[in-house]
Amino acid sequence: MKETRTLTKRKGISYAKWGYIFIIPFFVVYICCSLVPQLMTFYYSFFENYRDGLKQVGPNFVGFKNYVTLFSPDNTGNIGILKYFGNTVILWVLGAVPQLVIALLLAVFFTSTRLNIRGQGFFKAVIYMPNLIMAAAFSMLFFTLFSTVGPVNQLLQSSGLADKTIDFFGRTFTVRGMIALMNFLMWFGNTTILLMAGIMGIDQALFESARLDGASAWKVFAKITVPLLMPIMVYVVITAMIGGLQMFDVPQVLTNGNGAPNRTSMTMVMYLNNFLTTSKNYGMAGAVSMVLFIVSGVLGLVVYRTLSKQYKQ
Amino acid sequence: MKKLIALALALVMVLSLGCVAFAAEDAEAEEAEAAEDAEAEEEEEPIIVHDGPEAADEGKVLNIYAWNEEFKGFFDKYYKVPDGVTVNWIITPSDNGAYQQKLDEALLGQESAADDEKVDLFLAEADYILKYTDSDYTQDITAMGVDNFDNAYTYTVQAASDADGVVKGVSFQCCPAAMIYRRSIAKDVLGTDDPAEVQEAVSDWDKFEAVAAQAKDKGYYMTASFASTYRVFSNNVTSPWVDADNNLQFDPQIESWIAQTESFVQNGYTLPTCPGIWDDEANAQMFADGKTMCWFGPAWYFNFNMGNAQDPENGCFGDWAICQGPQAHFWGGTWLLAPAGTDNPTLVADIMNAFINDEDVCAQLIKNEAQFTNNKAVNEAIAEDPDYKNDFLGGQNDVAMFVGMADNIKFENQTIYDQLLNEGLQNNLQDYFKSLGGGEGVDKDTALQNFYNYVNETYPSVITPAA
Repeated sequence: MKETRTLTKRKGISYAKWGYIFIIPFFVVYICCSLVPQLMTFYYSFFENYRDGLKQVGPNFVGFKNYVTLFSPDNTGNIGILKYFGNTVILWVLGAVPQLVIALLLAVFFTSTRLNIRGQGFFKAVIYMPNLIMAAAFSMLFFTLFSTVGPVNQLLQSSGLADKTIDFFGRTFTVRGMIALMNFLMWFGNTTILLMAGIMGIDQALFESARLDGASAWKVFAKITVPLLMPIMVYVVITAMIGGLQMFDVPQVLTNGNGAPNRTSMTMVMYLNNFLTTSKNYGMAGAVSMVLFIVSGVLGLVVYRTLSKQYKQ
Repeated sequence: MKKLIALALALVMVLSLGCVAFAAEDAEAEEAEAAEDAEAEEEEEPIIVHDGPEAADEGKVLNIYAWNEEFKGFFDKYYKVPDGVTVNWIITPSDNGAYQQKLDEALLGQESAADDEKVDLFLAEADYILKYTDSDYTQDITAMGVDNFDNAYTYTVQAASDADGVVKGVSFQCCPAAMIYRRSIAKDVLGTDDPAEVQEAVSDWDKFEAVAAQAKDKGYYMTASFASTYRVFSNNVTSPWVDADNNLQFDPQIESWIAQTESFVQNGYTLPTCPGIWDDEANAQMFADGKTMCWFGPAWYFNFNMGNAQDPENGCFGDWAICQGPQAHFWGGTWLLAPAGTDNPTLVADIMNAFINDEDVCAQLIKNEAQFTNNKAVNEAIAEDPDYKNDFLGGQNDVAMFVGMADNIKFENQTIYDQLLNEGLQNNLQDYFKSLGGGEGVDKDTALQNFYNYVNETYPSVITPAA
């Protein structure tokens, strides 16, 4: 009798609950540090809630007023948030497209058994290095280099390439170009390493058999590497996109928060930051955050659907 | 391919190393300069230091909030805190209102902060002093023992008082501002560098613009940035930035600045790509090879922002002079305010007294630091001292010039929003001014709308004009 009892008990032992216990810390942290603040942001976006000098105004419930204000055109007919969203997308695409192309190329070179590059560790460290510099410091460096009295202007003038001072920070094209270049430099190393990991996960036998069958390097790349790399590619694109939508430090420091010229380099998060810095306007800032959240979610889904459809086929 | 990549990477590395070395050299040069300056000063008379009082039952940590190192320099040099007291400087740059944000957080948390964490003394500028004096976060300093304002300029006391006339702080500076000009350029353009004659030539804005045309013909700029004359206009406004119903309004003086800058940019009287007073491009014009004739500023401007002019190698020390300029004005000034809840009231009161009433400290501020102090007796004595001359200004007695201007300063039409409205207007109109100078830019309506958007984001309670 005793024996059977122990046996049944032993049979009933389940380790499943440990799985849940192990993931509890993550969910506790997620709920405290992400979910609750997000719900609070959503809640506060329906309130008038800011500081006027040292006096607190609100919180007073105002319904959708903050959202209406966000999407109302100004005197010149512009809707601010749409313009800043457009800026953000342009800045991201300008940086992300070359980043993905170069990273993919480098990843293929580094993993190619035919090229067999030596000293890979060194090169990988070097291309990753820009990512270790703080974005703000990197921006300051560019700001100093390209200022009207900076070394780039001096060099251009002394070499006769320019006859007068070039105002790099007064042109939309150059400011956006600098921001894209900085983002590219900071992130292509990181992307390269992720893509390399993806390529190395592909079975080498596939490459070898393709080569034995006489496939060209381009064929191997287009028919084997890229399709099998898609899961990693989807991950890279989506994380890069979310990071891009949240772009802040580089343009903020480079333009001293003005998004100059004519607010063409003001991103969504810089816009959000404008509401928070002086007046602690949690109502309007909350509304901008919610718009950003919805847009990120929708775009993430679209990218996921389109890219994963390709590799499922 | 391998070689190509390796070459490209090597190039990138060499370039980035070059940049770092360049920056490091700059820093080294600056340090060396600072050391030289310090040495030069040490050779002069011995420094008289004001000793702070012992207060046994008060806090041992003095927290001072400031936005730059200027006052810290004077404090470290001329004031000695009693043994056992540690001075803790919390310095946040004032750009984009960062200093105000930092200070606001500290003051709002003042009540619950531990004694050693409390703000004991903080510095404020004319542009936002009202925000703090007109609140319960500052206290009456006359009750703390700072009650002798006989020698202080009236406007400095008014500025630090709340609506009921309760005094909450003192300024250690008085800031009548002058037109600062390059003697050599004035000689070339006007045929004279004598302050009285130059003053005669620029005594109103029309004459000033006429001289600008002459300067341009000789290959000079009249001013170095769009905002060079901004303070001259903005500190003479006849109405505040925001009216009683919280509507944003443009004073005629501000309109005049816009009109003048339009004309200056279009005519090439100022640099076409340099928007701000503090920009590197403007400051580079202060070197000996600079082409700009006029600057506007008070006494503190010489040491605070004219470092390039004083540079031993590339500067032009002594090639400067001041005159009143087209319009009398004041600019800036640093007030020391007493926050409510400080645990060092005796020490704080003594610091305030030292910097306005200790004649030794004040005299040294003038002679060693080129300040114009908030002590009439000291200023007037030095103004009449035949031995005093400012070598930077080619031997001119600037104190005598400032004494004549100081009594006329009026501190009126301030709002708590001034710092960021002044900064915001200058920043947002720069695209418009640049377009007038041939750069890419926007029309005036767009630039003004950008300014309104900025105001709406920064100050939700301020109402901007509708279409």
